Amino acid sequence: MKITILNGNSDNRKFDDYRNNLVKMLKLSDNSVAHFKLKEMEIRHCRGCFGCWLKTPGQCIYKDDSHAICREVINSDFVLFAAPLVMGFPSAVLKIAMDKLIPLLLPYIELVDNKECHHEKRYDKEYPLIGLLIEKGDDTDSEDIEIVSDIFVRFAIDFRTSSRFVMQTDIPVQEVSDEINRI
Amino acid sequence: MKLTVFNGSPRGKKSNTAILLEHFLKGFMETEGNSYELEYIVNNKDVGELVEMFKDANNVILAFPLYTGCMSGIVKSFVESLKPLYGKQDNPSVGFMVQGGFPEAYQSRFVERYLEKLAKRLNCQYLGCIVKGGIEGIQGKPQFMTQKFFYYFYELGKVYGKSGKFDEEMLKNLAKPEHLSVLGRLFYKFARLTGMANIHWNKQLKENKAFEKRFDRPFT
Repeated sequence: MKITILNGNSDNRKFDDYRNNLVKMLKLSDNSVAHFKLKEMEIRHCRGCFGCWLKTPGQCIYKDDSHAICREVINSDFVLFAAPLVMGFPSAVLKIAMDKLIPLLLPYIELVDNKECHHEKRYDKEYPLIGLLIEKGDDTDSEDIEIVSDIFVRFAIDFRTSSRFVMQTDIPVQEVSDEINRI
Repeated sequence: MKLTVFNGSPRGKKSNTAILLEHFLKGFMETEGNSYELEYIVNNKDVGELVEMFKDANNVILAFPLYTGCMSGIVKSFVESLKPLYGKQDNPSVGFMVQGGFPEAYQSRFVERYLEKLAKRLNCQYLGCIVKGGIEGIQGKPQFMTQKFFYYFYELGKVYGKSGKFDEEMLKNLAKPEHLSVLGRLFYKFARLTGMANIHWNKQLKENKAFEKRFDRPFT
């Protein structure tokens, strides 16, 4: 299986160790893994200019590292979004990269499940399934986890796929790896 | 009453968020003695300055567009920069304004829960969240399509300027439609089938000489 990991960690060593172990384990079970350390990459935040829909359809008008990310993501079977929670939500580093995935959609809008407006897919294929790996902060409670999980499900709907899990780094790495291998 | 407003739109001064705020603030200023300062998160290189502004404020409104069902990355950066204010006793009251491109207010309800929790985290009195969908493209729409909800923003601002509170009933009315009605769904399906729904986008694609490339798939 082809897996892309978008790693939104900024300065948390424990989280880095956890995620590195996960990458190792996933590779051992014959997955190909593209692992993006977002903090070290050049990703300009989305300006809402819609250039990626209306000027250079399918790619951000700025030639930053979001192009490489979009390429890997759309060609993956599974995408893992990973970040510690900061102020009760995955890091801004991760969210800035997530905002830059909209070139994978079209500007056109359709009703999903005959119910809600969302953008159409640009690519004629099943979009990668997604999962979220988070590390709790000192201030995280169960309500935060619920809010984050629900918002992630909304992101999945926007991205025309479905969320397979939201997992926390307080369980053994093996369990996360097993969960991904079951997909 | 003194108000500090943060516009979290990546489009800054040219944003739809700015237009909605303009109507809200016009209402707010109807009460004598009221004043406000307005800052654009996107323009601000020095986050510390924004944090100082937040810290010194009595009343804050944070307004932003919905980005894939949530706040955008730059708004999240701003929120993270407020971490030093954790647990302070005299943080300002906060209210939020979230506007979405899709018509349903429902799409903004999830981030609304996050925002309420955020206020609690920061020990801020939570005033509520103004939610309005269907905002993308308003700058090209004829007046008769926008004047009603612009008026709502004005009225909300007016009541807020007097009482320091958001009027629940007005919030509910402004938010409509919460979901698409059966008729609304039919309308959207019809608009899509006839291509009417795409006119707005296609016109711009043609202006940009990118119409032929609109379905490009550069990454396969």
